[in-house]
Amino acid sequence: MNKLIFFLLFIICSMQISVEEKVNFDNEAYPFASDVQESLFYSLLNELRCPKCQSSNLAGSNSPISNDLKREVYELVVEGKSSKQIKDHLVDRYGNFIIYNPPIEPATYALWFGPFILILLSVLVIIFVRKRIT
Amino acid sequence: MKKIIDALPLVVFASLIIVLFSFLSDKDDQLETALIDSSFPDFNLGSLSDESRVLTKQDIIKLPALINVWATWCIACRVEHPFLMKLKEESRLTIYGLNYKDNKLKALDLLERDGNPFEFSIYDFEGRLAIDLGVYGAPETFFIDKNGLIRERHVGVIDEKVWEEKFSKYLNE
Repeated sequence: MNKLIFFLLFIICSMQISVEEKVNFDNEAYPFASDVQESLFYSLLNELRCPKCQSSNLAGSNSPISNDLKREVYELVVEGKSSKQIKDHLVDRYGNFIIYNPPIEPATYALWFGPFILILLSVLVIIFVRKRIT
Repeated sequence: MKKIIDALPLVVFASLIIVLFSFLSDKDDQLETALIDSSFPDFNLGSLSDESRVLTKQDIIKLPALINVWATWCIACRVEHPFLMKLKEESRLTIYGLNYKDNKLKALDLLERDGNPFEFSIYDFEGRLAIDLGVYGAPETFFIDKNGLIRERHVGVIDEKVWEEKFSKYLNE
């Protein structure tokens, strides 16, 4: 029983609590005709990565390049481009690096499937060890 | 057999450590370049030296060429400046400048003082062409081949070594 509680605590503690970063922007700086466009804009800023400050998204960065990219995203949103079109537009220029959610392709197989392979291996090891003990 | 299996976790752990440590020393911060083998993007920007002159892609006519992203606030750009001057003297390559988010007067001062390796400099204060090129810092250097395609890109100071390793081969095509 203790083991189970310990295990559950471990799982809970290691879960990353993901809270959408609430960044207060000056709404005057980015005026939108509709709420849909506005929420698209802010969700994109959270999903796009700052190329200069490599562990931050555009929303969390105030570097000159981030501000330029925010302006770029803003203009594309106002033009009525979709989320996918805007991401493609930036990936064409900066590569997959710019998005935090990379596509599944040979270069990212290790990233996407590595954790599952590790889980599988761990399960196999556990089964094997238990078998030997009994 | 049993010994091998007993040693397995240790072996896996040790190899993991070695792999991760090798990533630590990997200081290459060059991002992939999405633009390799695509044509130079269109632009419509002023000239650094002549406010009234509007530059477009059609002004980049002397090919092959280097496009060098520079600014006076960028210290590394000053480090590579003498090399660009030398390159201009010695090779049949044209160098075009992309003056990036800079103060115009300071930029012109610098060219006056240290020499001007550029055929002309595009004045990109808002960083528009820079975004189309996927620029994320200065200095950056792009090689444009005789057909107007981007063939190589280097982020950081360009010197003799970088030139030999990354760029010179395209000149001899």
